[in-house]
This record gives sequence, structure tokens and C-alpha cells, in this order.
Amino acid sequence: MASSRLLHLARNGLLPKSSLNMQFRTAYKIVTDELGSDPKTNQEVMDRAGDHILLTEIFRGFGVTLAHFFKEPATINYPFEKGPLSPRFRGEHALRRYPSGEERCIACKLCEAICPAQAITIEAEPRADGSRRTTRYDIDMTKCIYCGFCQEACPVDAIVEGPNFEFSTETHEELLYNKEKLLNNGDKWEAEIAASLQADHLYR
Amino acid sequence: MAKYITGALDKLKVTFDILKQNGGIRGSLYQLFRTDELKNGTVVGTDKYGNTYYENNRYFVVFLDYDGSQVPAEWYGWLHYKTDLPPTVKPSVKYKWMVDHTENKSGTSEAYMPFSTTKSKIQAWDPNARKE
Repeated sequence: MASSRLLHLARNGLLPKSSLNMQFRTAYKIVTDELGSDPKTNQEVMDRAGDHILLTEIFRGFGVTLAHFFKEPATINYPFEKGPLSPRFRGEHALRRYPSGEERCIACKLCEAICPAQAITIEAEPRADGSRRTTRYDIDMTKCIYCGFCQEACPVDAIVEGPNFEFSTETHEELLYNKEKLLNNGDKWEAEIAASLQADHLYR
Repeated sequence: MAKYITGALDKLKVTFDILKQNGGIRGSLYQLFRTDELKNGTVVGTDKYGNTYYENNRYFVVFLDYDGSQVPAEWYGWLHYKTDLPPTVKPSVKYKWMVDHTENKSGTSEAYMPFSTTKSKIQAWDPNARKE
């Protein structure tokens, strides 16, 4: 090894500093075996030759592989197992209802105003009974950045980001949700939405 | 030495337990083909769609069909480790307006298609309309 010999010379001051392009540090200790160094004694030479001929390192490598085969995997087997979720998880949107079945949304348009991606479109009209309700509540789920501002802005907890994240679609237009779809989501997921709100109510 | 023998016997017992729970050799092969994994667990409950929920050191579900979005809202929190109380222990809220769970229908004929929920504000001219 030419370079280590050069290093050795330089360390002992046998080589003029100017003959090297780099300066060598001299005040350090090597605490590990010098890997790849040439064997010094006959014993070492024979040991190393034996290791090479019997492929011991290869078989030790196989051993490591085999050990990992029997270990419990670090991954989860989705969809049969699922990863942990927070009650605050912000997934697919849903419009909730009161326990009576009346829809919560009063068309105040705070969610539409706060939405940084401007993904929400609302149109409202007074209903026959005089209450103000939305006639259009569209969310473009491809614009939405899932920041959760809409559910924080909502004074009646009508629009929420539910726990569901498995709503990917094959086409763009399937993600342009209208009021019908959002209310349906609420009816489908109310059990879990209510549980999440219950779990987190001390912190809001 | 005795430690290794009992350890090996324990492993053997677990193997037989897994084979027994998954319905013998044939059933186990089928289950391995379906779920890419063989394990045993205690049954925590089933939902009305036919999915069975198990627990060993993790929670897992064996679907009747095979789709990740088939977990209904009642079991969703338990399967996602939000709570350790399955709906068999702590029933979730029930209102009469709640609807059945449906899986993600994207790519099928039942997929959701957006439509306007209000009537259009403009009236476009229809060139083929008859003049009165």
C-alpha cells in the first residue's frame, strides 16, 4: 500500500512537507484494527487464506439474512392491519346533522371565506320554513389542502374533516364533491366523527 | 438446553394453533394466498358486512371481500388504534338517519359523479328551440 507507506514516512518526519499537497495530522491514535492492512505474521496469512477458501464471510452474511427472515416484520400488512390515527386526523370532508336529522350547515360561508385554496363554493337560499340553508355546497377535493381551517371556522360543527383517507378515485371529476355527497359522507361516518370529537373535546 | 427445547416446542404449538385457526392445511394455504400472512388471534367481533376483527399483539381485520375501504365507521377507530374499546364493548352513537357503509366505488358503475344541486343562474340560448 503506497499511500499508507507515504503516511508512515510523513508521520515520522522523513518526508519533506513540501513534497506533499496535503498536510498530515500527527496527533491522533488509531483505535480500531487497520482494515485491509496486510497480514503481518504467518498465522494471520493462514487465517485469512482459510477465511477466503471456506467463504466464511459469505455464510455469515446468509446467517444474517436467515435471522431477519424469522424476525417479526416492522411493516404492517395493509389493508388487513392499519396504522395508528389521531382523533384530529384531517381526512375526507363530511357535512354533519343534528341528532334529529336536520342538517347543521346554516350557510354562514365562514368556511368558504377562510379556505386558503378557495376550494369551497356555497350558494344559499331561505327554505320554505324560513331557515337559511345551502342549495349548493361544493368542495373541490383536488384543490383542498386539508388544512382543517373550514372545520375550525364552522360555528355549528357542520363541516368536518372526517377520519377517512381511503377515498382516492380513478378520475378527477369524482373528487368534485357536492352537497349530496358530503351529507352522505356525514351519514356514513357519523359514528366515527362523533367518537373523534368526543375523544378530543377537552382540548378544543 | 431445556430452555431451547421448550422454546422450540412453543414455536411448534404456535404453528399448530395458526394452522388450526385458519382451517387446516388447505384453509391456511388459501388464507396465505389471500392475505400474504398467516397468524392467529382472538376474535374481537364481526360487523354486519361479514368482516371479522382479530387481536393478537396488533389489531387486524379479515375482510369478507378484499378492500381497505370496507371497514365501517364503528370499527374504524378501533382498527386504527384510536381507542382500545371495540364497538362490542363501547357501542358507538346510533341515529336513524345514519346510512350503511359503502366501500370506495371509484372505477365501478356505482361511482359518484358530481351534479349541480341548484338550478342554473343563466339561461343559455338553444338554437334548436322552436319559435312560438
